[in-house]
Amino acid sequence: MSAIAFENVSRTPRAGVKGPGAAAWIAALDLPVPRAPNSWLPLPGGLIARLGLTEFLVEGSEAAKLAAPLSPGVYPVLRQDTALVLHGARLNELLLETCSVDFRALNLSTRPVVLTSMAGVGVTVIPGEGGGMPCCRIWCDSTYGEWFVETLTGVAGELEQPGHPCNQGVTA
Amino acid sequence: MTCPVNGPRAISEFAYGGEIRPMPDPTTCSDDAWADYVFNRNGSPGVKREWWCHTPSNTWFVAERDTARDVIVRTYLYAGDS
Repeated sequence: MSAIAFENVSRTPRAGVKGPGAAAWIAALDLPVPRAPNSWLPLPGGLIARLGLTEFLVEGSEAAKLAAPLSPGVYPVLRQDTALVLHGARLNELLLETCSVDFRALNLSTRPVVLTSMAGVGVTVIPGEGGGMPCCRIWCDSTYGEWFVETLTGVAGELEQPGHPCNQGVTA
Repeated sequence: MTCPVNGPRAISEFAYGGEIRPMPDPTTCSDDAWADYVFNRNGSPGVKREWWCHTPSNTWFVAERDTARDVIVRTYLYAGDS
């Protein structure tokens, strides 16, 4: 069994808006608005993330609400991301090998959203934990998607090689 | 470097956007002043105000950087008119 499980959830409905009027417009749609930049809130069957100061991403069935007519100061953001869910005991090692953010140092209770570069690709990451193991959701531009998944699965495979430095002194 | 929105990140996540230089009014300034703005750059060492972008989030901000010591003094979001 692989130490890191990959699930491609790109087909999950998602939508985005940005602009100075975006927060008020989202609130008027009866969606909760994350107060802090780079944080997220759960929705029934999905989530809403605040990316930076004035951009929002909604994923799941609630994304359909963003089809409402836009107000002044609200602009649509095309979300054709490659979206992945990664889960497994070696996930933090994969993240440490591919990007410069130490996800273990984040306080998950604050529901952080991290915009960073992973294997050279700009990504949005929501770290989490499930079943006592780290997990995360990752979105990236879909034009990088195939290469990005290949790269991450390649690095994940290397982590499982017996001679890999991460496995020195590790027993199954 | 510290992005004002995303926090401290590796320098590889940032792109340089050039020194912040006030643009003279092209309809009233002299040709010499306009040519100086378009073609010349100030290469003297010192603390410069520069545009930088955190590329994964496309966040543009201002960095004050001491080009003599290559030290970033501080970073902040641009507060001017937009």
